[in-house]
Amino acid sequence: MRDTSRPVPFARASRAVFDLALEGMVWSRRSLLMAVLLGLPIVFAIVYRVVLAAHIPPRVTPFDLYGAVVVFYYLRNVLPLAALFYASALIADEVEGKTLTYLLTRPVRREAILAGKFAAYVATTLSLALPAVVVTFFILLTSRGRVGLGGAVPDLLRDLGVLALALLAYGALFTLLGVLLKRPVIPGLLFLFVWELIANLPGYLPRFTLTAYLRSLVRHRPAEEGISEIFGQVLPAALCLEVLAGAIIVCLAAAAWIFSTREYVMDQ
Amino acid sequence: MTRSRLVVLSALIVVGVGVVGALGALYFDPARAAVGPLPAEGLALPGDTQFVMGFDVHRFVASPFYQRFGKDRQGQGRPPGFTELEEKTGLNPERDVDRILFAGRGVEKGPEGGVLLVSGRFDRTKLSRAIETETKGVTSKSHEGTTVYLFREEVGKKTGAAAFLDDDTLVLGPRESVEATITNYAGGKAPMRSNAALVALLESVKPGSTFWAVGDQSVLSRLPLSIPGATGQGAISLPPVKSVVVTGDLDPMVAVELTGEAVDGKAAQNLADIVRGFVALASLQASQRPELKELASAVSVTTDAARVHVNLRVPYELIDSLSGKRPMAANGAPESR
Repeated sequence: MRDTSRPVPFARASRAVFDLALEGMVWSRRSLLMAVLLGLPIVFAIVYRVVLAAHIPPRVTPFDLYGAVVVFYYLRNVLPLAALFYASALIADEVEGKTLTYLLTRPVRREAILAGKFAAYVATTLSLALPAVVVTFFILLTSRGRVGLGGAVPDLLRDLGVLALALLAYGALFTLLGVLLKRPVIPGLLFLFVWELIANLPGYLPRFTLTAYLRSLVRHRPAEEGISEIFGQVLPAALCLEVLAGAIIVCLAAAAWIFSTREYVMDQ
Repeated sequence: MTRSRLVVLSALIVVGVGVVGALGALYFDPARAAVGPLPAEGLALPGDTQFVMGFDVHRFVASPFYQRFGKDRQGQGRPPGFTELEEKTGLNPERDVDRILFAGRGVEKGPEGGVLLVSGRFDRTKLSRAIETETKGVTSKSHEGTTVYLFREEVGKKTGAAAFLDDDTLVLGPRESVEATITNYAGGKAPMRSNAALVALLESVKPGSTFWAVGDQSVLSRLPLSIPGATGQGAISLPPVKSVVVTGDLDPMVAVELTGEAVDGKAAQNLADIVRGFVALASLQASQRPELKELASAVSVTTDAARVHVNLRVPYELIDSLSGKRPMAANGAPESR
């Protein structure tokens, strides 16, 4: 018999919250929208294979297209957006729906609630994003036979790792925003589509963005225009991994601390 | 199992199957080799090799580049000399040669210079007879049980040598280098593995490239450290380069990726600025030759800590316009207009 005067152990509590949150996340309208957005490159790859391959100039190879999809579509736009909409809502949705009280009155530590919900976010977004990337890779890279497929495999594995890291890093940041702010979506969008643009500037400024580190980790360098082409710089891989790991740990720790100490007053 | 877990499991299976399939494609890829693009027999090359170049003959022959520029002057048939070579040796380079490797050992090695490894399918009897009958002053000797053909074996002159490492590999070069390679191969030694700097560079070569080259500091130290300025006056100082990796493909366009490692980030930035300067100069000439602007836009230069990456992607239409040649159809014949 469990001692009810003491909270449920962290791992058990997190797992229970994970199951609950996963069920709510996977089967939601948000996931449907994200599945469509994340799966669009598959549709594009099929259209390319069936129709466009004959019309696109041969200077654009399927591997170039795949690289552009990874860098511009997934890494720069859709994955950060997915992270924003899921991670910022981990706690904010409970506050908005006035259901946080039911969670907080259970004998579980608040950190366990956040850990379980963050794990559910990671599982959901990875489940939606990574299969789409793998399928897009195979459809595009086999459009001209198997030539060059083997050579591109290290890039696929690297991309999968970097995309997972992007979901973790942006997810941790937006989880922090979600526990810090009542309405985190607008600041999150400003961060993604205004602040992150400084990654294209010269000097040390790109080091204050997440996208500069993530983009440096992938090997694709699709042609860009304007200042990003002129000042495009690639940061050392070791530095990128250190900074991203640091950002994930700091953001999650700060989010856990704020969530566990903050007093939530539900509006009636 | 809940429906959500089923979704996660399905996604995991899709990714898992994809990764396994991808690894299978990598494993069975013909470009897969012992160290980067270097095949197992390449590891028998001398350990003090300073640079290695590789050339995938099949990819080259199948490329639009060969269709356009590899044929004879009439643009039809095989390059001159190939028919004669096949008659004498049974060797059709377009069909029989898979890969060519050249390992350089530096100028100070003198007669112990570079070694050429040619992999493919050879008619050994016909080729050996051709060497013995068609070449003047050729002698042969046995080294580690392998017949080595020696050319120009005279006092005071470099002696060239050729031998079959196995049925599929021909080694050519100065006698000492060829014998050293045979000794290593026969003894199962892989001295190239001990050359950690070069092995690291080889591992960074993009798999499946049509041609590639890697060189370490020892060979690059002999490069000039300054080049004449654009006006012919003064000189531009070049930062020293520690290593260089070049990979290239010829299909569907000429794509060359060059990565040079400078001594530090500042030197890399300087080097990148010099390359960008030349690209900008080419752009300035665009008023006289518009195609130069397109050529300049085909070059991109980025830096990554102490490394400089130069990417060149030139479509064949641009090469045609630069050379004043008529565009060619896919089969190599000039397009009719």
